[in-house]
Amino acid sequence: MHYIEVENLNKSFTVRKKREKGRLTREKTVIHALQDVSFHIDEEELTGYIGPNGAGKSTSVKILSGILTPDSGKATVGGLTPWTERKKHVENIGVVFGQRMQLWWDVPILDSYRLLKDIYKIDKNDFENRLEELTDALDLKELLATPLRLMSLGQRMRAELCGSLLHSPKLLFLDEPTIGLDAVSKLKLREFLQKENKEKGTTILLTTHDMEDIAALCNRVMVLGHGKKLFDGQLPDLLSRYDTQRTIHVRYDTAPDFSSLPESCTLQKEGDNYIITYAPAELPTAEIIARLQQAGRMQEMTAQSQNIDHLIARMYREMDL
Amino acid sequence: MNTIKLYLHSMKMLLKSQLQYPWSFCLQTIAQIVMEGGEMMAVLLIVNRFQSLNQWTGGDLLFFFGIMSITFYLTECFGRGITGNFAALIRSGNLDTFFLRPRGIMTQVICHAIDPRRIGCIAVGVAALVIGSNQSRVIWTMPKIFLFTEAVLFGMLLILGLFLIEAVFAVHSVKSIELVNAVTYGGRSACQYPIDAFPGPLRVLFGTLAPFGLVLQVPSAVILDKPLMGIDGAWAFLCPLAGVLFFAIMYFVFQKAMKFYRSTGS
Repeated sequence: MHYIEVENLNKSFTVRKKREKGRLTREKTVIHALQDVSFHIDEEELTGYIGPNGAGKSTSVKILSGILTPDSGKATVGGLTPWTERKKHVENIGVVFGQRMQLWWDVPILDSYRLLKDIYKIDKNDFENRLEELTDALDLKELLATPLRLMSLGQRMRAELCGSLLHSPKLLFLDEPTIGLDAVSKLKLREFLQKENKEKGTTILLTTHDMEDIAALCNRVMVLGHGKKLFDGQLPDLLSRYDTQRTIHVRYDTAPDFSSLPESCTLQKEGDNYIITYAPAELPTAEIIARLQQAGRMQEMTAQSQNIDHLIARMYREMDL
Repeated sequence: MNTIKLYLHSMKMLLKSQLQYPWSFCLQTIAQIVMEGGEMMAVLLIVNRFQSLNQWTGGDLLFFFGIMSITFYLTECFGRGITGNFAALIRSGNLDTFFLRPRGIMTQVICHAIDPRRIGCIAVGVAALVIGSNQSRVIWTMPKIFLFTEAVLFGMLLILGLFLIEAVFAVHSVKSIELVNAVTYGGRSACQYPIDAFPGPLRVLFGTLAPFGLVLQVPSAVILDKPLMGIDGAWAFLCPLAGVLFFAIMYFVFQKAMKFYRSTGS
């Protein structure tokens, strides 16, 4: 049995439009947020969950965390059904929303944590130890007496993360945790999550639009679009399907002669630079570099694979999302 | 036990966060005293003009006003989680957070807000009650003290129940229904006067549907030794149970409504 099992989950919402003039009833549209979604996740897995806005990511996280009741289908986390055994289930999970604060706004975060201790009925010693450990790892020691409202976004995110991990959950849901964070904060957060996953064995389900997060953290990625699961597997496998083009930027001392380049390559000139786009499947990179060297005296060269965001955008386009 | 501990801890913390803005707190409390004091003046004016209303003397009217103010504002003070803006709780996504914690939703709703500024209104209510019971020469015997306490406590449950109607509507349409205010705030305004002063339909409304009459006024009348609608003796002690019943029904409906909660955006 897997830790998280989801089978044929369905959820739809009825949205009433504004009443049009001269009509008595309002038009209704049904939005299928989830359609027969099935997957399973094992303990200690770190899974990324991606898809464009409105794909149903948040809906599935809300169902798995016990906020929403699905229309049909089964889901269990550690053998518990989230929406029927809510209280028992949520003792084992932590949830962090990047855009929504769960701690109390006006009081020092330590007070918030103390209240969480009572809410989760955490043993006093366990609480002190865990708090020590988390404040150390998240660099929160100096901030414990500061109210949430006086913190920067990065600090707030760390404080939230600490709050949702105090009861040592086995499963952590992260909904866009790095949204709006600066580079340093992002890297620190990723490092922390990786450690939490490795050392504590916390299962993590990460929803994000930041592909760097996925690339850095997750070995497995699920793609959701229009409420359906479209891909489930390794990130490199997903990328290799769409990563069909590479670009090379070169600069020469003298005017180059590109006659030996095959026709399938496209050539662009941008200032002193030449930009060559090619498909590595047709022409190996080593081969093209050799030919570029023949073309003249090379001054500088950089080879790039396509930006991961472009790949995902292309994927969404091709999947018609 | 654990729930009470959690409630007390939450209240302590919320009070602390309210006092983060001491000036705002003081000014608003004063404003509340002025507001509620104004309401009390209205009662005094009536008494001045007419000496009595039906069988009720000025002292009696102040008593009715006092018990209503105390009950209503104690509820608003300690039950702010429910009497506050429930629709905003849904819109802001805070209700989602409650689902993520291993406690009852209702417990967390009650624990999430407090309104200590109401202390001003409660003080006005106490003053009215003391003046009223002095003028009407109430002799406070043990049964009367018990009846008074019962009325106030169950009255608080009734008021919470009434506000829960609004909460249930808010779950359904994610918007607050102003109509419900007619029985909550409207009920407070109307039922600070004895309901036998009102025409039939209003008497039915506040006697049965939103039973302020049974929960607060029957006991008050007995304490003043002028039984309302002939209800006296043991019946007077049973009437406030209507508040418990009302709350129990609304609690049940609220729990059902939570099953249909659909959350907002992401």
